[in-house]
Amino acid sequence: MEIGEKLPGVSIRLEGTTTGTVTDADGRYSIEAPNTGVLMFSFIGFETQRVEIANRTQIDVVLNTDLISLNEVVVVGYGTVKKSDLTGSVTSVKSEQLTAYPAVNAEQALQGRAAGVQIQSNNGAPGSDFKIRIRGASSINASSDPIFVIDGFVGGVLPPPEDIQSMEVLKDASATAIYGSRAANGVIIVTTKKGKAGTTNVQFNTSYSFQKEIGRLDLLDGEQFTDYITEINPGYVSSGENTDWQDEIFRPGAIQNYSLSASGGNDVARYYVGATSFDQKGIIKGSDYGRFSVTSNLDFTAGKRVDIGLNLFAQRENQQGTKTQETSGGANNTGVVSSSYKFMPDQGIYKPDGSYTTALVGDPTDNPVAVANEYQNETVTDRFQGNVYGEFKILESLKFRTSFGASVNNGRTGTFIPTTLNQGRNVGGQGSINSSKRTNFINENYLTYTTSLGVDHSLTVLAGYSFQKFSNETWGATSQSFITNAVSFWDLDGGAVAQPPNSSFTESVISSYYGRLNYSYKDKYLLTFNARYDGSSNFSKDNKWAFFPSGALAWNMKNETFMTDINVVSFWKWRVSYGLTGNQAINPYQSLARFDKVFTIINGTPVNAARPTSVANNSLTWETAAQFDIGADIGLWNDRLTVTADYYNRVTSDLLFQLPLPQYTGFGSVLSNVGKVENKGFEFSLASRNLVGEFKWNSDFNISFNKNKVLELPDGNDVFTGSRPGHLVGISGSTQILREGYPVGSFWGFEYDGVYQADDSFIPGSGFEQSVGGEKFRDVSDDGNLNSADQTIIGNPNPKFTWGFSNDFSWKNFDLNIFFQGSQGNDILSYTLLELETMSGFNNSTTRALDRWTPTNTDTDVPKAFGGRSQRVSSRWVFDGSYVRLKNIALGYTLPKNLVDKLAIQRLRIYVSAQNILTFTDYPGIDPEVNYSSGGSGSASNQNLGLDYGSYPNAKSFTLGLSIGF
Amino acid sequence: MKNKILRIFIIGFFFSVIGCADLDENPVGLLAPETFFKTTKDVEVAIFGAYGVIASESLFGRHFSCALMFRSDMVDIGNRSTSAERIQINDFNMDDRNGMVARFWPAWYRVINAANAAEAGAISLGLPEEEINPLIAEARFIRAFSYYHMVRVFGEIPYIDFAVSDPLTLATISKTSEDDIYIGILADLEFAKQWLPDTYASDVRTRPTKGTAASYLASVHLTQGDFANAYSEAKWVIDHKDDFNYKLEDDFQDLFRSDMADDLQETIFTFDFLGQQSQGDYNTDYMAPMVGVRNAAELGFGVSVPSLLVYTSWNELDYRRKVSFTDSTFLTNGTWVGYPDFPNEKRPHIAKWRRYPGVTGDGRISDYNYPDFRYAEVLLIAAEALAESVGVNAEAEGYVNQVRARARNWAGTVTAFPADVTPGMNKTDFINMVLEERRLELAFEWKRWYDIKRRDLGAAVFGPGGLEPRPEFDASRDYLMPLPASELIMNPNLEPQNPGY
Repeated sequence: MEIGEKLPGVSIRLEGTTTGTVTDADGRYSIEAPNTGVLMFSFIGFETQRVEIANRTQIDVVLNTDLISLNEVVVVGYGTVKKSDLTGSVTSVKSEQLTAYPAVNAEQALQGRAAGVQIQSNNGAPGSDFKIRIRGASSINASSDPIFVIDGFVGGVLPPPEDIQSMEVLKDASATAIYGSRAANGVIIVTTKKGKAGTTNVQFNTSYSFQKEIGRLDLLDGEQFTDYITEINPGYVSSGENTDWQDEIFRPGAIQNYSLSASGGNDVARYYVGATSFDQKGIIKGSDYGRFSVTSNLDFTAGKRVDIGLNLFAQRENQQGTKTQETSGGANNTGVVSSSYKFMPDQGIYKPDGSYTTALVGDPTDNPVAVANEYQNETVTDRFQGNVYGEFKILESLKFRTSFGASVNNGRTGTFIPTTLNQGRNVGGQGSINSSKRTNFINENYLTYTTSLGVDHSLTVLAGYSFQKFSNETWGATSQSFITNAVSFWDLDGGAVAQPPNSSFTESVISSYYGRLNYSYKDKYLLTFNARYDGSSNFSKDNKWAFFPSGALAWNMKNETFMTDINVVSFWKWRVSYGLTGNQAINPYQSLARFDKVFTIINGTPVNAARPTSVANNSLTWETAAQFDIGADIGLWNDRLTVTADYYNRVTSDLLFQLPLPQYTGFGSVLSNVGKVENKGFEFSLASRNLVGEFKWNSDFNISFNKNKVLELPDGNDVFTGSRPGHLVGISGSTQILREGYPVGSFWGFEYDGVYQADDSFIPGSGFEQSVGGEKFRDVSDDGNLNSADQTIIGNPNPKFTWGFSNDFSWKNFDLNIFFQGSQGNDILSYTLLELETMSGFNNSTTRALDRWTPTNTDTDVPKAFGGRSQRVSSRWVFDGSYVRLKNIALGYTLPKNLVDKLAIQRLRIYVSAQNILTFTDYPGIDPEVNYSSGGSGSASNQNLGLDYGSYPNAKSFTLGLSIGF
Repeated sequence: MKNKILRIFIIGFFFSVIGCADLDENPVGLLAPETFFKTTKDVEVAIFGAYGVIASESLFGRHFSCALMFRSDMVDIGNRSTSAERIQINDFNMDDRNGMVARFWPAWYRVINAANAAEAGAISLGLPEEEINPLIAEARFIRAFSYYHMVRVFGEIPYIDFAVSDPLTLATISKTSEDDIYIGILADLEFAKQWLPDTYASDVRTRPTKGTAASYLASVHLTQGDFANAYSEAKWVIDHKDDFNYKLEDDFQDLFRSDMADDLQETIFTFDFLGQQSQGDYNTDYMAPMVGVRNAAELGFGVSVPSLLVYTSWNELDYRRKVSFTDSTFLTNGTWVGYPDFPNEKRPHIAKWRRYPGVTGDGRISDYNYPDFRYAEVLLIAAEALAESVGVNAEAEGYVNQVRARARNWAGTVTAFPADVTPGMNKTDFINMVLEERRLELAFEWKRWYDIKRRDLGAAVFGPGGLEPRPEFDASRDYLMPLPASELIMNPNLEPQNPGY
């Protein structure tokens, strides 16, 4: 339904009587009623409205869509189901929630809207991606990302939020098992908008947001910095300037968002066409993002039995990036944000000769203005997707649907490092281009048979076959030593020193059979059985096929005789499900033995060289998740209050691990299936229409508890991984630990015990301070010495619970929405603060340096300034990252009907809103929503959680918007 | 009309099911071991794979060579806030979780694995001896070379001399004794000496020749105290030096100029690094920044810096001190200062691997070729072995004099220092003199630690009167490094750990 649509069939009743009528095709009605009467307007899918007549003779009513009706239809895999018949755990998110504020994509819009779904931004840069976790991360070394199904296209391209009708998140085994070997992490089904017969709708939305960085660090200024360094190095000579580097790199940002759509049709043909444009100027100089897309959905009814349709989508994204979250940021590779924190405030931006200054203390890094202005990185991505389907009603009860879809994703990234930056100065400038082309082809065919065996039984059977083929090409070239910086990366043959080019090709195929059986008895007892049989080319020689079944039972308790008189309860369904889903996990060619090429020089030139790098594993198989879910869907007071609660337990076994081999074999590891991880938890969501009179108030609340635990590791041994930025050399390679019985991503380090005071006894240890004012660590192993045995688990980045709370108010033509979102109990390990506050005089510091230990300031936990201190991961850098954030507050005004009619439009709404303007947190960094080195879909995305280094800050926005319906 | 559509759909359905279920992988652009070895060219490719690992950051690009340098008395730690693993190797308080060992232990075994695979692949071709044995010899040389380094650093270690296709069969093997490892090394080197060619195309020194094998044989015999054989191998190389194009370069500095590295005739076995071309671990070297002056124009880290005594005890008239050390440098603001005014570590720094790295600003990813053996050492081995087995005589003195004569060439001008050896020294003094000559001639070329170990000089050089006093040095423990703890945990049959750890 679109805004401004005239609704036929709305039932109007005079309260307290049986007098009633319905609206006609134009939405008009007439009824006889006393001046003091009350009219009730109700329609399926919309909130019932109670309106006092108050002596009026014409009453126009606008009905609001009912976000939480249990009679609505929910999209599940390969079909739809009434919510009252649903046996699985599925959360629906509607279009209005996805477009409440300008979001770069639908993933960002989903944040805080669905129980059990945790969305985090990986980096605040414009166009950056998001990490989605449904009921926790189910893998360690393989991807934990859910799959997206766009209009039936598995792995299709996610359209912009304005084109989305609804998103359904499938969470438990019963709902997801039909997607088999790729469903262990959950499934998100996206349905785009389609045209409807009878009404033509044209919609225009635009908004403009002013953006500002969400926060800045409190750093030392030039004089304070000079004092601090002089304490370590008395001979230090300051350059005498005073530069606020954060000031120099931040600028006011902006988002301009436009969307225009038209939909309509008749009984024969229906259409939806939409175009969107999203243009973001980033809050750091030199970073921008633009996205332009066109969606076109056409549906045809070709006779009584045949429906055909076509979905086309095209999108271009253009991202101008800057360097952030660098994995190794020494002199050659410092990022703009980390540089703005650590660069000397007593230096200016330019040297007298006009070139950029480089750091005079510590590593001679580039200054942040140089990185922001000079580093060039441009990514252009084009996506095309087409999907054509045909639905044939063979018999009244038997339908056949076939669809063919193809998508092509082309990306090109060009990077240029000019001679004005350290890395480019050494080599005369370096330019590179890397491109990729990913093709995805899918063909789905399935039959659906619906029947009722007598009055009390109904049965639906689904059987189908799917074939999908993926191919991925990449190629790239790099060159160094150019005549001028002006050519950027568009003249690689002009570079005097060419680097070896690269190219690669992989392809894979999935062939699947799937089926589902839905049985219900008297609408009271429901049974669902799902299964899928997947064959994948990625699987090893001996294990090409996999079977994933699931079963669920549900009991519509409200339909029982003993519940008929309990009027408070309008709906009560219990459901329980259990099943197996898979995580494909294995990359193409990964189970094969390999020689890999080696870069070897003979006589000054590269030669062909190769060495054995991996051994075959012919029994390598996918990861399997077994999930149990029990839940209830409850409606009270005629669905005025609806509650959904679920308890789940999911154990993923046969985890892919690089099983360490003894290194003397010449092979470091062999990929094997060994290991188990468990996610269990509780989800609770509540929606209520608190007030339904002229002043309306609706609330939507969801909260999810998830406990992640490693159950089994290879040989029960701890597995260590390191996530530190490479230039922080003092830190050992082990910063994260996987240990049986503890959550994935646990931090590993020393326990900080404060500062040694004059009367303390020093604990001996090579490389540890033994002097007054130095760092004191706890001797965890109690052996009288400080060494690597005193490291222990010092933090857990997984939250105890996450929640979202949205309130909608409306009065006359005004509407107000307030949306809070939060996370509680997650720890953050801040490499940013570690680099700044170690007090070793290697770079700038936060103002905590003013509280450092000195003989006159002994009551502090900041150690003295000491040049010989190594950086070390300890509990001093682990902070509570819990937060509550006002994600969106929006006030809108819809023009009254008479004004709107004069302008010959259906509806006009203007609004102002603000995003991320209030955050309550104890975290001393700028933003508790950080995820350093956590992108991609491998081991890093699962194990590197809650880390903070050099991240592009998120932004607060103030938005003005307008939407017009024609 | 509708029946037609129905038929079309049903036919389409069946077509989509047929012919779509080929799930076998056919990787394009990947190399599979079973089909890899078809010609001798393929064996060469596999052998070159081993060289790529040797010329990588884990071994001679930084970690292994620096570990050997730290261990000796010639190189100390400069910047004491560098990573703890380096300090521990230098200060003799390392444990079995040391991070540098964790880098080079697996790297050496990757080299050995590559060499074993190449040897097995070569044998599988079934070609006649004359055609295939030179390549087998090259693979066996690489294996011997790797185990020679490993056995001197770790002592008893797992000895694998066959290609591995199922690593799990090796999960419980035990260590092999040092004696047996040396037997294997000598067997491989003897085969190599028999079958390797005299020279290669373009006279490259990064592939072993007969002369290379003989030189290493001399070194192995010297290490084992078999001075008679050490002398006969070294003498054989000296007598046949023209077959292999070996000679002492005229100017000592030329040996450490990256632009001349490919043309040197003194190098017997060297590792080729190409400037500005790094691919991950391969071809990546960081020697220049490691030894470079910190916070100066040369952008060094100041980590591998000799103690001041190494410089001050070296006679200033020795040209080799000037080539090996840098005593003044440019600061970032352009002023030229002497070492007492260096910003951080106020003593001379190593120049051998910093002065002429090629086209790079801070010296990383340089163009240096790092020599593991050069002709000067062959002469000194001959001198030491001859003195030990027969006695001090004119021939032994003559070898040392050749080295000294070259050192007297101060960039074109012939000086008087170092003078020729005093004739007729007694054996003990002569040996000490040769060891000193080795220390200076081969300074910072990761030779000194091995000399200290084979001659048990530890107590003397790390004692109070030595160049780098190290009170923690314990001769019963520190001549060997501990095997990585992770290996022993995974395979308890490797117990016991080296004594003292």
